[in-house]
Amino acid sequence: MPKCTIDGKEVEFTAGENLIKVAARAGVEIPVFCYHPGLSVVAQCRMCYVEVEKMPKLQTACSTMAGEGMVVKTNSENVIKGRAGTMEFLLLNHPLDCPICDKSGECDLQNNSFGYGNATMRHSEERRTFVDVDMGPVIEKNMNRCIHCTRCIRFGDEIAGIHEMVAVQRGNNIDITTIDGKQLQTEYAGNYSDICPTGSLTLKDFRFRKRAWMLKKTASVCEGCSKGCNIEVQHEGNVVYRCVPIENQQINKFWMCDEGRFNYRYTQDPTRVLEPMKRDAGELIKASWDSAMESFRAEISASKVSFLVGTDLTLEEMATIKEFAGLSKITVEHFGTQGVESTAQDGPQDTILKMKSKTSNLNGAEKLGIPAYSGKSSTDTVIVFRGGRAVLPAIKAKKVIGVGVFLAADTAGLSLVLPGFSFTEKDGTVINHMGIEQKLRRAVLPGGRCKAFSEVLMLAMNKKALAGAVS
Amino acid sequence: MSEVKASEGSLFIQHFFKDSNRALSYYLEKMNGYQAAKRVLTELTPDQVIDEVKKANLRGRGGAGFPTGMKWSFIPKQSEKPKYLVCNADESEPGTCKDRQIMRYTPHLLIEGLVIGSYAIGCKHAYIYIRGEYVREAKLLDEAIQEAYAKGYLGQGIMGSKFDLDITVHRGAGAYICGEETGLLNSLEGKRGEPRVKPPFPATSGAFSCPTAVNNVESLANIPFIMRMSGESFAKMGKIDKSGGTRLISLSGHVKKPGVYEVMAGGMTLRQIIQDLGGGMLGDKRLKAVIPGGSSAPILTADEIDVIYDVEPLQKIGTMMGSAAIMVIHEDTDLVKLLLRITKFYAHESCGQCTPCREGCHWMESLLHKMIKGEAKMQDLDLLVEVAQNIGGKTLCALGDAAAGPVISFVKKFRPEFEAYIKGQKKYA
Repeated sequence: MPKCTIDGKEVEFTAGENLIKVAARAGVEIPVFCYHPGLSVVAQCRMCYVEVEKMPKLQTACSTMAGEGMVVKTNSENVIKGRAGTMEFLLLNHPLDCPICDKSGECDLQNNSFGYGNATMRHSEERRTFVDVDMGPVIEKNMNRCIHCTRCIRFGDEIAGIHEMVAVQRGNNIDITTIDGKQLQTEYAGNYSDICPTGSLTLKDFRFRKRAWMLKKTASVCEGCSKGCNIEVQHEGNVVYRCVPIENQQINKFWMCDEGRFNYRYTQDPTRVLEPMKRDAGELIKASWDSAMESFRAEISASKVSFLVGTDLTLEEMATIKEFAGLSKITVEHFGTQGVESTAQDGPQDTILKMKSKTSNLNGAEKLGIPAYSGKSSTDTVIVFRGGRAVLPAIKAKKVIGVGVFLAADTAGLSLVLPGFSFTEKDGTVINHMGIEQKLRRAVLPGGRCKAFSEVLMLAMNKKALAGAVS
Repeated sequence: MSEVKASEGSLFIQHFFKDSNRALSYYLEKMNGYQAAKRVLTELTPDQVIDEVKKANLRGRGGAGFPTGMKWSFIPKQSEKPKYLVCNADESEPGTCKDRQIMRYTPHLLIEGLVIGSYAIGCKHAYIYIRGEYVREAKLLDEAIQEAYAKGYLGQGIMGSKFDLDITVHRGAGAYICGEETGLLNSLEGKRGEPRVKPPFPATSGAFSCPTAVNNVESLANIPFIMRMSGESFAKMGKIDKSGGTRLISLSGHVKKPGVYEVMAGGMTLRQIIQDLGGGMLGDKRLKAVIPGGSSAPILTADEIDVIYDVEPLQKIGTMMGSAAIMVIHEDTDLVKLLLRITKFYAHESCGQCTPCREGCHWMESLLHKMIKGEAKMQDLDLLVEVAQNIGGKTLCALGDAAAGPVISFVKKFRPEFEAYIKGQKKYA
């Protein structure tokens, strides 16, 4: 493999790799704004200056490919001066509003200013200001904070496949905005905020809710569809504040869709059922677990029962339910997305990430040999195990019992509801449409009195059997 | 416009400044029109053409002075994609007005140059990108192209050969930055006129991501002369190494006879040009300074003008020949105001994509405003130079250098004028 030298360290590289990537392997960080590994290289921000031997001018590391024998310095006096110059230019018109800016704490501009900028300011002229357009329900725009890196424009053009962000005007007056000031159309708008290196594009959903540095981060998998995008659930004090994509080159690269990003909201919906509920005289009334399980056990032993598992369950949950059903000769079928009953019917919903199956584990259900709900087997009672996202089919039965995550609106046809854990509240495995097994991680604990499916099934065994199992 | 004063061996100037000269009939009868193209298309291989142009020492006439033959040789011989020849007729460097004369009075010279150049690099569709303000010139070019089509000098099987060529005139919308070749190509493709990152260079990925050569109007208009007289003879016309042929000079400012002139490359000093061609200083005032190569060229003092007017000699004294636009400045000129005007131009024309140019040019403009209004402090003058140094050599394209060069050179050579404003000895009138 060819080699080059970065700050005295010899590093191997493959042809076509730029100096930012090669330097990172040598443990040398090069500050960037406009460069993003998932987008085209434009070399506009002029932050990633490096000095390359035999080249008279400073070079931008993003647009300079490593070459055999190249000698690169990233901390020479020239480089330090060049970067400080760029930082000074970028801050000429940037408001000093970090204390009230949501990006603060995870802001490239803030970090690079601290690392490479000057502590004083030589500019005393008036700053340029803009009137902002409404960008729609996802993104809040603050053009005064923009540093014109054009990542958003390139994301729209190259990833989201929609030319909606543009630069208008020129020079000092350049404005990064939507065409004709329209609202954003893409269903991937949340990424605009992720890639924005300043607080210019922030998430309306997250704004003013939590300082970035207070968030705890748990790597997990999105349950929004069968793609299995890798995400980080960011939470604090048992509350999830947002989900952001994390890099997985095989699956979602750097991105996620808005549907998946905001999917977590239902887990904190005020109408979510967090206590066992029993229907009495047409009304669902709070019940104790003891009395709820009494009814559950009665139902299982007295009537003909079948199980329906959502394809939003983890592999472990499905396996446990299936095993339990096998012991009691109960049929198990799966449900998830209307019209997508098998992986054969699944497929891309768009050209970016979204899949037709709107649950995370259809592939897992099939691997466990659980058939799709046919509606043919006539049983008196159907027990539905649901992770929270699978869409309930029309069920023909005298009674339907729900176990798992339900909002008040989902409970109309249920005679009994036993609350369970949502995807941010449990560990487990899901298999995406490509057959890749990935782990969900518990980020927060559920409120109320939720129980895992395994615990519910344990309690469902009659007391004698249970005693036997325990002893 | 000045009267025609053709010196011996001049190529263009004797045909300028007379409307009837632009007709195809004039070009055919008086200028041996399209004979060079015919010989090239029927007798020479593309490589022979490129070799001839290389021998001619034809430097690009747009500003950078890159040898045209060399540029053409970078176009890959084997390519699955179509190749393009684009004529840069954006002529946007302040002070420059030479290409305009070519398009006005000898449009067929440019068309023949495009035919030969296209043949040399294997292009089937050439573009002329003309600045938006040249309304009349665009119309004249269109008419000349129609004439050429009608007589079989363009189109299918040109002059009985197997070579086909179409030419499209594309009008810009009046942006300085679209004279930068990659900004031009973006604009040609219908995108924002913003320079591209290089590499890839246009020779490998230019217009529509295809191999492209971008040449200035004057460079292309010289091609028929080269093919007629041979590259060697053309090279010999130049009085200095590495520069062949003649140079069209746009002489403006405080001279008695401003206008477009033609000199043998490297054949005159700056002083001779001002005295002999320009007729000396306007109102016989004292010379104060000269901007020798368009507004982006660092300024020269009156003591520095005994320099051969060509690429290398000017480079040696820290300025540049650029597009050969000479601006002569007499003693009564306020250089602070002049610098503000120049800086304002570059701040206005900055495309805004890269940081130093977008932010820095406007900052320099603000600082100069402050000085002129008497609100600046002495340290602002050093700050101005430091800002310019942070722009120069740091930007994506050459516009940053173009904006920084004048600031640095003006302050270095005429510092007392700036200090006078700051000290309040001089007030904005």
